[in-house]
Amino acid sequence: MKLGRIAVIAVVVAAIGALFAFGLLRGNPDDRNITSNLIGKPAPAFALPLYERYWTDYGETFALDDHLGKPLVINFWASWCLPCYDEAPVLQQAWQAYGPQGVQFVGVQTQDRDKRDEGRAFIARFNLGFPNVLDNDSLVGVDWALYGVPETFFVDASGKVVAKHIGPVTPEVIEQQVGALLRGGA
Amino acid sequence: MFELQLGPLGSASVFLAFGLALYGAVAGVLGATRRDARLQTSARLAAVAGFILATAAVVVMQAALLTNDFSVSYVAGHSRIASPTWVKVVTMWAALEGSILLWAWLLTGYTALLAITAPLSPLRPYAISIMQAVQVFFLGVLAFLANPFKVVPFPPLDGPGPNELLQNHWMMAVHPLLMYLGFVGLTVPFAYAMAALITRRPGTEWMTQTRRWTLTGWGFLSGAIVAGGWWSYEVLGWGGYWAWDPVENVSFMPWLTATAFIHSVQVQERRRMLKPWNVLLIVATFSLSILGTFLTRSGVVSSVHAFGNGPVGPAFLVFFLLVTLAAFGLLAARWDDVKDRADLDSVVSREGGFLGVNILFVTLTAAVLLGTLFPLIVEAVTGDKVTVGAPFFDQTTLPLWMLVLLLMGIGPLLPWRRAQQQSLARNLAWLAVAFVVSGALAWLLGVHKVYPALTVALAGYNLMSLYLLLSGALAPRLRLANRGALQVFRSYAVESRRRVGSMIVHFAVVIVAVGVAFSSGYRVDEQLRLDFGSSAEFSGYTLTAVDRFMERTPARISAGAVIAVTRNGRPVTTLRPRLNLFGEAGRTVPTPAVYYTATHDLYLNLNSSVGPDTTFVVLRVVKSPLVTWIWVGGAILLLGTAYSLGGGRRTVPAPAHAREKHEGAPA
Repeated sequence: MKLGRIAVIAVVVAAIGALFAFGLLRGNPDDRNITSNLIGKPAPAFALPLYERYWTDYGETFALDDHLGKPLVINFWASWCLPCYDEAPVLQQAWQAYGPQGVQFVGVQTQDRDKRDEGRAFIARFNLGFPNVLDNDSLVGVDWALYGVPETFFVDASGKVVAKHIGPVTPEVIEQQVGALLRGGA
Repeated sequence: MFELQLGPLGSASVFLAFGLALYGAVAGVLGATRRDARLQTSARLAAVAGFILATAAVVVMQAALLTNDFSVSYVAGHSRIASPTWVKVVTMWAALEGSILLWAWLLTGYTALLAITAPLSPLRPYAISIMQAVQVFFLGVLAFLANPFKVVPFPPLDGPGPNELLQNHWMMAVHPLLMYLGFVGLTVPFAYAMAALITRRPGTEWMTQTRRWTLTGWGFLSGAIVAGGWWSYEVLGWGGYWAWDPVENVSFMPWLTATAFIHSVQVQERRRMLKPWNVLLIVATFSLSILGTFLTRSGVVSSVHAFGNGPVGPAFLVFFLLVTLAAFGLLAARWDDVKDRADLDSVVSREGGFLGVNILFVTLTAAVLLGTLFPLIVEAVTGDKVTVGAPFFDQTTLPLWMLVLLLMGIGPLLPWRRAQQQSLARNLAWLAVAFVVSGALAWLLGVHKVYPALTVALAGYNLMSLYLLLSGALAPRLRLANRGALQVFRSYAVESRRRVGSMIVHFAVVIVAVGVAFSSGYRVDEQLRLDFGSSAEFSGYTLTAVDRFMERTPARISAGAVIAVTRNGRPVTTLRPRLNLFGEAGRTVPTPAVYYTATHDLYLNLNSSVGPDTTFVVLRVVKSPLVTWIWVGGAILLLGTAYSLGGGRRTVPAPAHAREKHEGAPA
């Protein structure tokens, strides 16, 4: 009798557990693998002011159109965004590795109105060699349909967006995505 | 240079508190089974030390928030330099990790208080150990899964600040605090109930010893729900206070079962009956509070307030399943000790009424639970996505609420064991008269909707019931004593705090019920477009868009409209509905402006943006009657709860036979 009652309770609890486990595993809209409608489409153009340290190499404005034809890695960040601090060194390393192979990296500071000093401090802290621009009105972020920061887009040599990564990039992600860009472009 | 690092200091406090909780949970049980007083004492000391350490963690967190120490991950993720001080303080419970810290801290506080004040009994060591086992879970989550004290290697210069909706109203400082005080308070009777099952002492000891904890917890939970409703009314901008959103539902379900519990325990105290019900209800209350936390922290049911995901959701799920399995398993194993030996003498009796309360509140809980989980069940079975909206909850729960009001009036008038036909018939006649008269009056005054009219009728009926109760208690005293009515009432109110407290609470429920019935039944809701300088009529008022305005504080930018409100040509008030923007990257939050009166509220929310060049505004205008009654009723309810808790420990009831005569039906 006693065992029977306990067994019934165990079965009921297991059923509830299964239901909630399903709820957890089915994922939800916040998931990292949210797909972007941009994938397979041409990269939305932008021309934004560069930070001073890049002026000698790139001029005062960075226009995406001028760089189409090369594989592109476009990273959106903000000075208040914690994971951006995690990924910045990864991006700088990747830039040093892949820049010479013809991959253009560009950092877009967004959702960060008038935070120029903070932007400069961020760039200086990680000594970012790839060009960084300020999207002061966050409008480019809207064009690229950002869900949040950081997000990183990979654009192939024909100017099409091929992949999007939400959250901080890791060396593995860079290797996989940029590797694909380089193979596709060859 | 040596620098004091707050992050490691906080982490260390949490880890040490975790270790102490683990030690206390094990030592307490070992001490009890081996009858080793020294082990038991060490477990109690561990409870006190655990509280001191958890307090240290909270102090460190507050220090980090107030000094903008962005090397502490929680501060970096959720605070902002420009926030005003009060926002920084409450930021501690504006996001997941911090709210778990608050919960764990309150839990250690209650455990320490219990360890110091609980009278020596065979239950005590087990109860404290169970409290500490619950601590192990919360502190463990804090230490290993959601540590708010992680060190940020490259601290940002500023953070994003807490969720905008939470910054927007001071009520956010109050609501979560009350909610956790409620949940934690109700953990005490749960721990004692488990101790009673473990020690095979399912008598009344566990509930009389925790009566104050239970009532306190229930009071806090009630306050939390009312405060949450008020917050939602003042912030969310749709002019309502309750939307049957999953997050609201999950805070409501433990309240429903706790309400049943505080009624049902009285039967066990008096008649040694409904023992399994009481254990069941307190287990349900505790596990529903954990379930609620799981549902809101995991994104399993979609809701406007979900906190995002991570390993914390699954941890709460595992804990919920463990608690449910252990508690119900223990109940099943001890069933032969627990089950009632006496039967109801008659359904028409006080205990019959209490049984009815149990059935109604458990049915309400089941309806709310089903509605909340139904989308998940459907998706699991068929893969379809469905939503369950307010109409489901209204249709299923409204008839039950009416029955609750019905029972609330008649139940307290019934004597224990068996009602005497004569006095019952007389009381019923009076109740029926009050019901019919107030219902008819409402109908004549134009209340032609079913539920509001029924609520008025039931309100009159309940007021009559309260009058009968009071006069029944006072009349014999008046006859015996040679004193004035006021003096007699005063001495009665002091002697029977519990009884009078319950009358105050029931009165408050009537007020809230009328407020809810009218504000939802007779709400007028319109969208208006107003050019600046022009006016529009709305429900007896004239609204004139006078001007736009813009305010800037370090923490936020507000832009809004100045609306002059007049009635019959006389100025009534000026309302400033606005949009608040917190920080650079923040979301704009519409902030309604409300004109409160005793009979109705005028509620304006801005549905369009306002800039220097705007020439018009779009307003959502809501007029809902008697909303204020809900807040006032909530306050009275808390006063009643506090009243029945006050006044020392003389309120432990005398044995049934000694008092039955006084508390039966009025003579």
